[in-house]
Amino acid sequence: MPDRWTVVVGVKQVPDEDDVSINPDTGTLDRADAAAILNRPDRNALEAALELKDEVDARVVAMTMGPPMASPVLETAVAMGCDDAVLVTDRAFGGSDTWPTSLALAETANYLDADVVVCGEETTDSSTGQVPPGIAAHNGWAQLTYAEGVEALPEEDQLAARRDVEGGYERVVADLPVVVAVAYGENEPRPAGLHRKIYAETEFEPAQVDADDLGIDEDAVGLAASPTQVGGMETVEPVDRERERVDTAAELTERLAEEGVV
Amino acid sequence: MATVDVSEHADVWVFVEEHDGDVAGVSWELLAQGRTLADELGEDLVALVIGEDVADVGREAVERGADRALVADDPVFEPYRADPYGEQFRHLVEQRKPDVVLIGGTHTGRDFAGRVAVPAHAGLTADCTELGIDEDGHLEARRPAFGGNVLATIKCERHRPQMATVRAGVFEPAAPDPERDGEVERVDVVVNEADTLTAVLERSVGETVDITAADRVVAAGGGTDGELDPVLDLADALDAELAASRKAVDEGWVGHDRQVGQTGKTVRPELYVAVGISGAVQHVEGMNDSDVVVAINDDPNAPIFDHADYGIVGDLFEVCPALADRLRDADDPQEVIA
Repeated sequence: MPDRWTVVVGVKQVPDEDDVSINPDTGTLDRADAAAILNRPDRNALEAALELKDEVDARVVAMTMGPPMASPVLETAVAMGCDDAVLVTDRAFGGSDTWPTSLALAETANYLDADVVVCGEETTDSSTGQVPPGIAAHNGWAQLTYAEGVEALPEEDQLAARRDVEGGYERVVADLPVVVAVAYGENEPRPAGLHRKIYAETEFEPAQVDADDLGIDEDAVGLAASPTQVGGMETVEPVDRERERVDTAAELTERLAEEGVV
Repeated sequence: MATVDVSEHADVWVFVEEHDGDVAGVSWELLAQGRTLADELGEDLVALVIGEDVADVGREAVERGADRALVADDPVFEPYRADPYGEQFRHLVEQRKPDVVLIGGTHTGRDFAGRVAVPAHAGLTADCTELGIDEDGHLEARRPAFGGNVLATIKCERHRPQMATVRAGVFEPAAPDPERDGEVERVDVVVNEADTLTAVLERSVGETVDITAADRVVAAGGGTDGELDPVLDLADALDAELAASRKAVDEGWVGHDRQVGQTGKTVRPELYVAVGISGAVQHVEGMNDSDVVVAINDDPNAPIFDHADYGIVGDLFEVCPALADRLRDADDPQEVIA
């Protein structure tokens, strides 16, 4: 194990969910103007990674997979305090579901000699939460998902986390290397410092790696290597609601009594 | 990339999630739905039980519809850890080649499903709300996308098993039938404590509430600012279960087991009262099957009013107590006569 930990943070550019809206009358989806932003849960991942840096002087590298236009999320990561950032980009990755995506990110973690990989709990665009366990599974590493607090144990080459579980919590200690998925909203992400921000926007260029650099066979990624396919999309009909405004508790109780629910 | 011979794979498997002898309710829901899928495919329904001293759980799985329960019983499996569970499950999948594998969309289920899907190169669909079989015998896993505005159908035609995690509350559990025949088979445990990558230092779990079975639900959102007393009082007056939006759960005001919506649970009560909930699509998705929806919010433009039958624009500190009083009065025949 090296003297200094390398912490790799997975981040993703997603459409701003606040810009994706539904018209309740027509049931149609309106996301034409959705801005591309950093997946919100990834801010919690970045904060957790930077706390590890503060704690054990780790080197923190952000990684994202996507086309070159996805790299602004890497600038955000560097502005927040990441030491470096890598764009994982290759046409061969196009159409990947979570299986090849987690393979590419697992190989990037290897390429960067990661001791710890930190991700957000899930992305707001596809919300599967499958990529962090996928990275761990591809590499045969330990995983700590729904992590609420992360504690470095450098003497033992271990990491401990409090995990949120149904009806309670647990504390788990994992051997390095480990993949951590940080519970959404769990910490207070730090703002980007002005100097870092200027550096990220003007001087910083992320490194780029492709399938070849990562030693990935092109047939092992992309649409063809994705076990799942989207077979169709149906718009969900909005539920027809009364949408009646009432003014008083008395009036509401009356209505609910008429409905037979109180 | 090599594809598998899908015809070699048969049977519908349901992972029965248990912690310390307690089974997650979603497991029994999936067993009921798994029975339907297995009958449609003409295959067996197999329950997979992993834990310590879990033969009884295997027996109950048979009573609830499984043709066979595979039981991996060993101290290494208590409490749950992703790596030993995943390794054991992977071994069984490789050895026995199931066609379909269903797993509850709990933190545990979502934690370890990928631990099997990746080494098996299986298709894994997250957080499904509908499951069916198409004319070619493939699983059709439907999941809400774009915050529930769209239902996407995911298929996995060239890989096996076809895996899905499924949200709690979308299927009805089958009642146990003590007379039901089936086999409980102990399987070889292939995991050693020495090979594990993690250790659970502490586990603290209270009574888990099942909001999916409630007839009435009162849910608190971000607009409550964590002031839950009026909401709890209203829930008490209605004899309702407390639920919450993601915001209220993330802030730590309400436990995750009470979260409604995407990544939470689907509820379908007779009455759903949303207090201080703005009505993000992710939340609406989890309560849209409620019979009657009431919204209480001080923002007249909150989207929740579009998804409610009755709405009151007002301060929850005034509306909730007034409503609770009114309901309590209505319960009291003396008051009604007076």
